[in-house]
Amino acid sequence: MALLELDDVSKAFGSLKAVDGVSFKVEAGEIFGIAGPNGSGKSTLFNVITGIPFGPDRGTIRFDGTPIQGLRGHRIARLGLARTFQRETSFDGLTVFENALMGSSFGAASQPSASAREAAAEALEFVGLGAENFGRPAGELSVFQRKCLMLATAIAMKPKMLLLDEPASSLTKPEIDSTIELIRRTAARGITILLIEHVLTFLMSLSQHLLVLNQGTMLALGEPRTVIADERVIEAYLGTRRAAA
Amino acid sequence: MSAANLADTQTSRPAASAVPVGPGRVPWQREAIGIVVGFALLALLPLIFTDSYSRHVLIMVFIYAIVASNWDLSLGYGGIFNFGHIALFGIGVYAYSLLTKLAGLDPWVAMAASGAVAVVAAVAITIPILRLKGIYIILVTFGFAQLVMQIILSQSDYTGGTQGIVRIPSLYIFDHNMVRDGKFAYFYIALALLAASTVFLRAFVRSRTGIGIVALRDNEEYAVSRGISLVRQRLITLAASAFFTGVAGAFYAAYQRNASVEVFSMSLGTIILSMVLLGGTSTIYGAIIASFVLTVFSEAMADFGAWRPIITAVLILVVMLAYPGGIVGMLKSAMAVFSRRTSARKS
Repeated sequence: MALLELDDVSKAFGSLKAVDGVSFKVEAGEIFGIAGPNGSGKSTLFNVITGIPFGPDRGTIRFDGTPIQGLRGHRIARLGLARTFQRETSFDGLTVFENALMGSSFGAASQPSASAREAAAEALEFVGLGAENFGRPAGELSVFQRKCLMLATAIAMKPKMLLLDEPASSLTKPEIDSTIELIRRTAARGITILLIEHVLTFLMSLSQHLLVLNQGTMLALGEPRTVIADERVIEAYLGTRRAAA
Repeated sequence: MSAANLADTQTSRPAASAVPVGPGRVPWQREAIGIVVGFALLALLPLIFTDSYSRHVLIMVFIYAIVASNWDLSLGYGGIFNFGHIALFGIGVYAYSLLTKLAGLDPWVAMAASGAVAVVAAVAITIPILRLKGIYIILVTFGFAQLVMQIILSQSDYTGGTQGIVRIPSLYIFDHNMVRDGKFAYFYIALALLAASTVFLRAFVRSRTGIGIVALRDNEEYAVSRGISLVRQRLITLAASAFFTGVAGAFYAAYQRNASVEVFSMSLGTIILSMVLLGGTSTIYGAIIASFVLTVFSEAMADFGAWRPIITAVLILVVMLAYPGGIVGMLKSAMAVFSRRTSARKS
């Protein structure tokens, strides 16, 4: 059984169909990539899956066998579906450690204080924010560190699946390489990953399956190499980029 | 941070329990000692101030401090603009008055019950504002305060309407004479309430639930994505801020022995709000310190008559412009300067 299963999922804002009839399955343990030009509905799809801030208008979403469309965001999160946001996000009024503690305290079934602290510290160390950073206010961190912190708060939840929304955006080349490495290590922990990117090389190097969205609809789905060879994908996505370049 | 750095930290992992807090967060043992010392010093004040008027001023400071510091929980920590907070105090006043006078309840039991009534009222305010934001919360909560006042005015058979309630039963301690002791007993009851409220608030904001309230304030969507329930946290925040506010109202009624709808007035609300802001939000202590500063300052300038509120307002403006973090922010930067000087002298 697939870990995440979308069937005919749609979301419209007025007459604009942001996500239109999207269906796919993500198997446990894989890294599944979603590509598409800006405005193709990638982030809306994430919002709809996680219920933050809204669910789909139509269609069903099953996570680990449970239908989750219509559930509140925090309930979906507690089922083991964690997400990150495109913009680096943190609880600026809290310390780095407290940020991660939020994930481990609220993200799963009620945890005793000691094990929540343990999980928070472990997740922070895992992303490279060592103990010397624990007491720093999160607002002080650099963009890259904040992205790592956001990932740590998600890992502290001990999720089954992680939805990463453009983890490489606004990062430098070495930082992007670190991020790729970090995502690989996260997947190696047994966390299934659904990844949004518009940088195709980033997706190609990580994902086992690739879905390309265009104007809210599914353009192509399959093995990354087959997908990017698809003429429609080249036309809608790569073609315009080449023409522009 | 490089990839090498990332790999390096993976191998060296210290024990999680050793590193729960860092700079910017005082270990709870030290804070507990600070609270004990602080309240011990306050407990000595009646030895210095032997006249009942000074003690009365201090009792009022303690009441204001409870109301203001509890407001800091919802406003500062929670970022919820609950302008019905003063109504929770007023509800405490009237709950105590009615429970003792009409229901004939024991004053101490009535005082605790008034706290519970305020909690119920807070939950009632929370329900309509659960999914609202910012200015709409102000609108609804302000309306709630007005509604409570109108209900009290309309039920004049019980509440005395605009006349208010007089001859409210006071608190008692065995056979001690509460009236002719120079406000000695009331001083210590007020101080004990402030101490209990402060310990409760500080323990609460240090708990994971309390940290979750700040997380929700800082970024709602992010907090929800980490499993924090908006509805649950808002209910907890407002309910937690209501109990001692209601108890303070009950104490005020028992102490003054009369109640009027004045407690719902804008002027009282403005005074308490300025204490929260002047002290520095999200600290609890700031609101308490500002209650002292504003009340004592206002008393000291009693001779200035009509100039008094004007001078006070200008003072608040100046402090807030120079130190947006309020009095606590001012103290923090003073301490930073001090520690820099001492470290410079050492080197």
